[in-house]
Amino acid sequence: MKLLTHNMLTSHVKGVTKATEVKVTDVDFNSEFVSRMIPKIEWSVLVEAADTLGHLNDLPRDLPPDYESSEDFLRKVHHVLLEVEVLEGNLKCPESGREFPITKGVPNMLLNEDEV
Amino acid sequence: MSSNKLDKESKKRARKQMRAAHTVLRHAGISTVSHATQSLVIANGGLGNGVSRERLLDMLKGFGSVLSLLMPPNKPYAFVRYDSFEDAKMAFLTLNGCKLQAEGQPVTLYVNFVDKVDFKEHSTQSLPPGLLVVEDFVSLEYEQELLQLMALNTATQAAPKKSLKHRKVKHYGYEFCYDNNNVDLNAPLPGGLPIICDDVIDECMKNGYLKSKPDQLTINQYEPGQGIPPHIDTHSAFEDIVMDFKHPDGQNVSVLLPQRSLLVMKGESRYLWSHGITPRKSDVVPVINADAAQIVSSDLGNLTLNKRETRTSFTFRKVRQTPCNCVYPSVCDSQSAGKLNVPPSVPQSEVDASRLEQDFVHKVYEEIAGHFSSTRHSPWPKVVEFLKSLSSGALVVDIGCGNGKYLGVNKDLYMIGCDRSRNLVEICRERQFQAFVSDALSIPIRDGICDACISIAVIHHFSTKERRLAAIKELMRILKPGGKALIYVWALEQEYNNKKSKYLKENKAQLSQIDMKEAKHYELTSITCTHNMEDTSEDTAEEPFQAELTVHTNRTSFLSKDLLVPWHLKGISKNSRETDKPRVESDIEPQSSAVFHRYYHVFSKGELEELCTKIECVQILSSYYDQGNWCVIIGKLL
Repeated sequence: MKLLTHNMLTSHVKGVTKATEVKVTDVDFNSEFVSRMIPKIEWSVLVEAADTLGHLNDLPRDLPPDYESSEDFLRKVHHVLLEVEVLEGNLKCPESGREFPITKGVPNMLLNEDEV
Repeated sequence: MSSNKLDKESKKRARKQMRAAHTVLRHAGISTVSHATQSLVIANGGLGNGVSRERLLDMLKGFGSVLSLLMPPNKPYAFVRYDSFEDAKMAFLTLNGCKLQAEGQPVTLYVNFVDKVDFKEHSTQSLPPGLLVVEDFVSLEYEQELLQLMALNTATQAAPKKSLKHRKVKHYGYEFCYDNNNVDLNAPLPGGLPIICDDVIDECMKNGYLKSKPDQLTINQYEPGQGIPPHIDTHSAFEDIVMDFKHPDGQNVSVLLPQRSLLVMKGESRYLWSHGITPRKSDVVPVINADAAQIVSSDLGNLTLNKRETRTSFTFRKVRQTPCNCVYPSVCDSQSAGKLNVPPSVPQSEVDASRLEQDFVHKVYEEIAGHFSSTRHSPWPKVVEFLKSLSSGALVVDIGCGNGKYLGVNKDLYMIGCDRSRNLVEICRERQFQAFVSDALSIPIRDGICDACISIAVIHHFSTKERRLAAIKELMRILKPGGKALIYVWALEQEYNNKKSKYLKENKAQLSQIDMKEAKHYELTSITCTHNMEDTSEDTAEEPFQAELTVHTNRTSFLSKDLLVPWHLKGISKNSRETDKPRVESDIEPQSSAVFHRYYHVFSKGELEELCTKIECVQILSSYYDQGNWCVIIGKLL
């Protein structure tokens, strides 16, 4: 699971990512694509997740206002959003503590019947 | 009789004659012609109406010289070919509206000309694998001794004789409990099997028909007109009778079992094929060699009816002490997914609905994932067109993404797939797509974030209207205002604007609709098809409430909106993704195919749109019919 995918998840599943296996793969950089993604992102969540995984990549705590013009910044975001993938780990609900396992890169978000 | 009344009656007859012509065309694909030919189709004059060959032939011979008379089994029509046009014309003029007594029921014959008799019976039949019929297995004297067992009710070792709805039954060894279709291992009946049966058992063991000594005996006694619904014995034979064997894929084989014969069921015939005796007063049997064990088959010029008498069967079984691990999980009570031992019902509650979907959608996809994926490689063009129309950098979620065939069609989008089946999602992952396992009714994605969503062939798997609506609402929840969603659901109408869908066109078996009528219900009453043409044409028009879901026959029109669609799993291992790999011939075991059933609610025209308009923020941007599916593109209002 890429951190961009993770960022789109509802808050009740994306708490803390405890990752035991993280993979980094090269993905072609497209500055326009990254710029378009940034407004959809919950920035603080991305930073926290990247930090937990040890891939913060010097991302600032606050999103700089003129990010579109900085290719260097966009490349960093690109790396964190699209090149870092969690293969094994857990997603945890900050409220209930319920954990959702990620195995072989596949998060399993199914709830038990009584949780729906 | 006034001339007015005469006129009225002949008009009525002409109308019914027309209707019969339409019915034969629709049900059996037989076109009638208005000019005189040598051949006639006689509606209501079939074996399925209880009209015997002898009876009909007698009548037909009165008009001229009959070259051939074809009577397909269980069908409400027959074909006659005369030596000359004149003879056929004579029959045509005289027989129309003619009444006949058949099995005590009056039938009215309607006759039409046909160009040629082109009745296709599906492929030559053979006995289901593992089935063996041994004729004259029991001597006349021994037969009498055995029958005493049923007559006497004094034997202490038997469970008391019971009268079931459609037969009398007596058990030895263990009592078979019809409430749960099983035996209580902890409650053997005292005394075991009657000593008199030892001869039968010894003979079976000696000839290798049985590997271990049976410890349970069921004696069934049927009066004429009684029968037993098609069933597979929970994963654990004598008088002439026709027993019907059915493969889950719809194949039917009827086997004539002569009096005093032994029927051995092993392997596929035991575990996969269902067997049953249609409740009727007579059987369709060959005219020639009528008392020899054989398949009642395709020689349509050699079939007639045989009146039934009281019949008693002795079934010896070995009670199983451990769960079954056969290779037919789809019909095995020990292995559950998509099983049909207890046919599911149309759900009446939320709990029912959720359970039905769990057993007949989720578990099934999990089992068939590998094979399913190997058949889903080409994306539908109109879906691709939708995805290509979206702007670069759009975030798109595919709800029910299956093997991810749409996740990579437009590289400028960021696509995330989700599916209820873990095995399918893993296939997406192997293809380097982003996907997770989740339920379409609770997608773990933030509100209002997606530029677009697609839901292709998913919502028809929800078994109540409320759940289908909830699924669309969930799509709208994750869509941003101004975003749009494309939804595809399977259409009830597989023929639209006079064109058959690809699904129907790929039908190789060419099963007639009448076959489906017979095969679709589990209920005893509906197994005997309505043998009156006038009735069948009417009751297909309306949609009766059904308690039990019907099983659809693949590649044919849908006969109801809520149904179970068989999936024929190819390959040995259950979720074998190895099925794509080449395999040497000898590796493929013939019995390795299994059938699973998926629940579907097929949508009628306008139903999908109606559902969408129930949601406040939805605007229907376009709706269309595409290859057997109803489709909408809906927008979320700003």
